[in-house]
Amino acid sequence: MAAVEVTDGITVEAGRARTRRRVLVGVGLAVVFTLPFWAGAYPVSIATMIGFHSILALGLVLLTGLAGQVSLGQAMFYGMGAYISALLTVRVGLPSWPSIFLAAAATGIIAAGVGFVILRLRGIIVAGVTLTVNLIFYYLIMSMGSVTGGATGMIGIPRLVYPGNLPYTAFIFLLVWLVVLALLVFSRNVVNSRSGRALRVLNVLSGGSEDTAQVLGINTMKYKVSAFVVAAVFASIGGSLYAHYTRVIEPSTFHVQLSVIVAIMVIVGGVTTPWGAVIGATVMICITEILRAVAPIVLGGPTGAYELVAYGVVLVATLLFLPEGVYSLPKRLKRRRRASR
Amino acid sequence: MLRAEYMATRSGFPHGSTDPLLELRRLSVAYGRLVALKDVDLRISSGELVCIIGPNGAGKTTLLKLVNGLLKPSSGEILFRGEQIESIPAYKVARCGITQMFQDVQLCPTISVLDNVMTGCHVWTRAGFLSTGFRRGHAREEEATMRASSLEQLNALGLTDRVTAMPRELSWGEQKLVGLARALVAQPSLVLLDEPYGGLMQHEIDKLSTLLRRLTCGGVTVLMVEHLTDVVMDVASKVVVLHYGEKIAEGEPQAIRNDEKVVATYLGE
Repeated sequence: MAAVEVTDGITVEAGRARTRRRVLVGVGLAVVFTLPFWAGAYPVSIATMIGFHSILALGLVLLTGLAGQVSLGQAMFYGMGAYISALLTVRVGLPSWPSIFLAAAATGIIAAGVGFVILRLRGIIVAGVTLTVNLIFYYLIMSMGSVTGGATGMIGIPRLVYPGNLPYTAFIFLLVWLVVLALLVFSRNVVNSRSGRALRVLNVLSGGSEDTAQVLGINTMKYKVSAFVVAAVFASIGGSLYAHYTRVIEPSTFHVQLSVIVAIMVIVGGVTTPWGAVIGATVMICITEILRAVAPIVLGGPTGAYELVAYGVVLVATLLFLPEGVYSLPKRLKRRRRASR
Repeated sequence: MLRAEYMATRSGFPHGSTDPLLELRRLSVAYGRLVALKDVDLRISSGELVCIIGPNGAGKTTLLKLVNGLLKPSSGEILFRGEQIESIPAYKVARCGITQMFQDVQLCPTISVLDNVMTGCHVWTRAGFLSTGFRRGHAREEEATMRASSLEQLNALGLTDRVTAMPRELSWGEQKLVGLARALVAQPSLVLLDEPYGGLMQHEIDKLSTLLRRLTCGGVTVLMVEHLTDVVMDVASKVVVLHYGEKIAEGEPQAIRNDEKVVATYLGE
């Protein structure tokens, strides 16, 4: 009986915490989804960029946080989504909406092939190879000028068609955050499921083992490739939306630097939870914007160099003081408060 | 696919219908010039508790790795229910009905005890990445069955009050029990145990021995590697002695205890 009481006690406490979390999430969602109706154009554009980066980072949570496969190639799949969607609409003349889905499907197929080859490797070398593949993609886009527009990129990408008379920026904002919400729910479902547990068991970065996973009947290669493909499809959807939002794309947007920044976002937010992706994207984009506003006045000169230094400082500080990311901060504070009582 | 369906369809054979359950034929494995196992023959019937003993480096763990598919033999055959399994990948071997508890247990440190045990259900569930992501009907149904089976298994091993604990919060003995629960929830025909008694207190040793006897009475076959010879002689129905990769003796515990060659090379006076 004592055991049941303890279990029940934990359940009651967990139930209260869940209710608090749900209220917090509800308020957060209400604030986010009404933002275009009460905030100015600048905050809405920043929040849209946070949304795009959240989509990219969410895929990395599944791939790196759960499966333990460090990838520095997310920007490539983001670019793939953007370029395929742009090519289908500008060169082939397809409508925008189907082109997003076709780009996601094409990216998924390419990612399955790439993943099947790369994920045979084990350990940190996967990061090096994905980074190299990202570089190859960048130079491929640059060199295929007649198709992709080369270094100058592609212009005249059509807007997405939508009903009603909402301003386009507000529509894209709502669409991007709806996608973030959908991918967040999808990722949370995966985390708390058979697939999520399988990925965690094979995650060597957090103490798992591929041999153990295999002995439990888990086809490790299939799961790693699945996570790789899902992360790529997430990025592709983000990239396509980005292309139809800015209507101009250029190769430099999809350079390796973006892959590295997204990886930092995930580490800063919390690599093992989908919420970490959104938190990390928010923290890093806000730091960037604050630096853009403050650095030229206080330090002088362009902000680019300061941004990289700031990212490095934030990454090191997180690894030192919050190794589980900003997501774990409330839990840590609560634990400290309990200990001091 | 739920547990009952899995049991019925596993490898195309009904549960425990073939004898011997596991057969090793002239099994050899070499790491370069080092021969870890040499021409080992072994037949294990359903419901037996076979224990492999021998000094360090005798090839005991290597033999388990060959059976679970993590290692491929240089020559020889492994037959499980009459089917050759030595060339199939480890995850497919697990689906045939062979599971293992490792020497160091190897629980996943980032998930709870219940979630760790639920990973053992992987062999008899089928929901894929997309099904779990979209929480489709059969994925939800499987999840509920996995949870119920795992809780039942933890309850049977006396771990009901540890379901929400993390592995690092458990004693070594509790970790071993969780590892065993994870192996048993897979509904295996053959359980491989690598030094299950290592580091346990006397009362935990007694508890584990009782559990293993109950398991074999229920028709599950156990192939175990162990150093504690007193325990081995107490629980095993058959003992196999390996020495430098070669089988030097096989038989009932009492016969092994009196075997001069075994006494000279391993047991001592």
